[in-house]
Amino acid sequence: MRADCRMEKITEIINRTKAYYCVECGKCTSACPLSRFGDYSPDRVVERTLIGLPVRPDLRIWSCLTCGRCKEVCTYGVDYPEFIRRIRSVAKGEKEQGICAHGELFSVMRLLTRQSETPQKRLYWVSEDLMVRDKGDMLYFTGCLPYFDIVFRDLGVHTVEIARSTVKILNKLDVVPVVMNDEVCCGHDLYWNGEIETFKRLAAINIQNIARRGAKKVIFSCPEGYRTFKLDYPEFFDLDFELVHISEFLAEQLDEGKIDFRTIDEPVTYHDPCRLGRHLGVYDAPRRVISTIAPNFVEMASNRENSLCCGTAGWTNCDSFSEEIRGERLKECSDTGAQMMITSCPKCLIHFKCHMSNRKGDYDLEIVPFEVFVARAMGLVK
Amino acid sequence: MSEKSVLVIGGGVAGMQAAFDLAEAGIKVCLVEKTLSIGGRMAQLDKTFPTNDCAICILAPKMMDCYRHENIEVLTFSEVISVEGEVGSFKVKILRRPRFVDAELCNGCGDCARVCPMGILNRFDMDLRVRGGAYIPFLQAVPLIYALDREKCMRCGLCKVVCGKDAIRFDQKPELVERSVGAIIVAIGFDPLDPSGITEYGYGKYDNVLTALEYERLICAAGPTGGHVMRTDGKEVRSIAWIQCVGARDTRDNRPYCCSVCCMHATKEAILTKEHYPEVGTSILYTDLRCFGKGFQEYVNRAKDDYGVVYIRGKPSEIREKENRNLEIFYSPASDKVEKLEVDMVVLCTALIPSEGVEMLAQILGIELDGYKFFKLKDPYNPTETTRAGIFVAGYCQAPRDIPECIAHGSAAASRAMEVVLGGSDDRRD
Repeated sequence: MRADCRMEKITEIINRTKAYYCVECGKCTSACPLSRFGDYSPDRVVERTLIGLPVRPDLRIWSCLTCGRCKEVCTYGVDYPEFIRRIRSVAKGEKEQGICAHGELFSVMRLLTRQSETPQKRLYWVSEDLMVRDKGDMLYFTGCLPYFDIVFRDLGVHTVEIARSTVKILNKLDVVPVVMNDEVCCGHDLYWNGEIETFKRLAAINIQNIARRGAKKVIFSCPEGYRTFKLDYPEFFDLDFELVHISEFLAEQLDEGKIDFRTIDEPVTYHDPCRLGRHLGVYDAPRRVISTIAPNFVEMASNRENSLCCGTAGWTNCDSFSEEIRGERLKECSDTGAQMMITSCPKCLIHFKCHMSNRKGDYDLEIVPFEVFVARAMGLVK
Repeated sequence: MSEKSVLVIGGGVAGMQAAFDLAEAGIKVCLVEKTLSIGGRMAQLDKTFPTNDCAICILAPKMMDCYRHENIEVLTFSEVISVEGEVGSFKVKILRRPRFVDAELCNGCGDCARVCPMGILNRFDMDLRVRGGAYIPFLQAVPLIYALDREKCMRCGLCKVVCGKDAIRFDQKPELVERSVGAIIVAIGFDPLDPSGITEYGYGKYDNVLTALEYERLICAAGPTGGHVMRTDGKEVRSIAWIQCVGARDTRDNRPYCCSVCCMHATKEAILTKEHYPEVGTSILYTDLRCFGKGFQEYVNRAKDDYGVVYIRGKPSEIREKENRNLEIFYSPASDKVEKLEVDMVVLCTALIPSEGVEMLAQILGIELDGYKFFKLKDPYNPTETTRAGIFVAGYCQAPRDIPECIAHGSAAASRAMEVVLGGSDDRRD
């Protein structure tokens, strides 16, 4: 890329993310989970860019967790996660990339954009007790759950249980959702690692396939997919269907008195995934549902907009600092006295389980996906 | 009252100055104040910057001058509820809320307050002190007429029994009065922001996180603790940190403006703390130190050099309460690494926002507000002229400014109102 062309792109990024408002007050640095354990400073990166220093090659742009804590506390409106995402796409254009913590995971997402003779077997998880259909109003975007189930089986995370629970809950509420075998990755991880073109191809495939099913409403269990559809797809495409997260859907049903739960006495706590919480502002819906089931719901020391990250996003740069952040979060959980932490993000689940599996005996905690927790309370799964 | 008179809304420093200037020029003034006493926010302050003068010592004579001036009619506990007419001949309806005490008879002895069994948090003391159901908001209140808080009163009647003047009137009704005036000056001041929405600082959740105005009451000799700074758990305070720009310069809630006073306000509170307790550690965590006024930089230099106040550049992102109720502040001084500062007490210098009810008043007066709900100017070269002819604005309710600037603004508004009522050129009235 020519230097002046790159400069133009950087200037646009600065303008789009209001980076020029930064006054170097250091609030983001002191809020950043990475800087608490390592050495990272969002406002330093912004300043370097503002005074025209090359932002790359610079590993710091790949270290950011994009958790959004800095953006949440910034009083000047600088959108640092978006700044990083856009800078990454410039870097990507120059053949740089971060270190994927899970080998060739990204390549698989890329492969999905190609036409293939043998169809994928994405619906292997749909067991006989589940009612699904191929066309209809309400579509369940399953995301990478069936895929993660295989990749991370050694951690014992069984992410397809999240998908099964979601469908069971919907069935119980008289909804027979559409699920698609030709669904592809939503593109979230590629998008956040600067690979915009592949992301757009994936998005186009998904939107086309959803439209073909005649869906008016798409329901998500994965916060990353939900964020991507809600905030990122509209950057490039028009969507003519409504989007809703399962927690919002359930909270609404709860208001209408349509759900019966078996309540539990044990204290439980909830971990806000960054995409659902800080990125989309959905804090109350999961809490409403969880606290109805578990009246002894307790909050961790940092919660809602001040919530601590699970340590990495977009599979990039999972390192010892990420592990320390996870340890801190699980300690916050233990400090509440609750032995069950609920989260609605499969990646948070994977990250915490991974941390715990390396430290057997250190934690007396159960990490439960939101959907599985609800399905259990509705008597749908054990 | 006639077309040659002026209505001033708000009895703080700006409104009082405007009323006084007009009255001295021989113009009749009706000064309407929402609370029980004139004096405004300045009356709540212990000292003023950058001279450390006692606030109420300067203010109380002004309050009396205003109240006793033959050309000023002070209507406290009153609100403007409608305005009709136009520049030169406004008809104003004012609602006088009942004090349940005969204003003519009450001599301010306070017997009613002493016998009242009720305990109600006093707003004037930022809810840090309990007052009776029969009360005046503060000792130097003007007028010195007691009032009964009938909403919370349990109607025991003790006040009526002890009142030697028989001034208690349980059946007093609200009263509607009308005044004809030629011009109006709005000077309704500000409210401090309630920072509990800024969750990272834990105000309302942690006992020892206070707002600057609460701290001002604590350090004030006439305040709830007699000027002793103490924590709710009784622990002696060894260190205090002030955090600047809390809710101000904050785009998250559409408040990007600088409050214009909190750098100096925090400096003053730190100096006062050092004067009371030289051994207490005082740190001010600031974003930018804005010492723009006369004597301001010298004031900060004195705080640093003579009093040992520590200034730290870095806006904290989080406060955590420890088990001993101390507070741990996370900040990053040069954006290098995260530092922790443990203190016994945190004072938040919050944004100052347009007073409650400002939208309603703007509607009644038919004038416009700007994007932050400050009163809008017709054009920037007429710094007291609102969007409606004959209605002028003074003080913080137009834009953030400090006490001397509010007073100057009050005088400026008064001089413009004079032009109108003393029959300035006709084209002004268009």
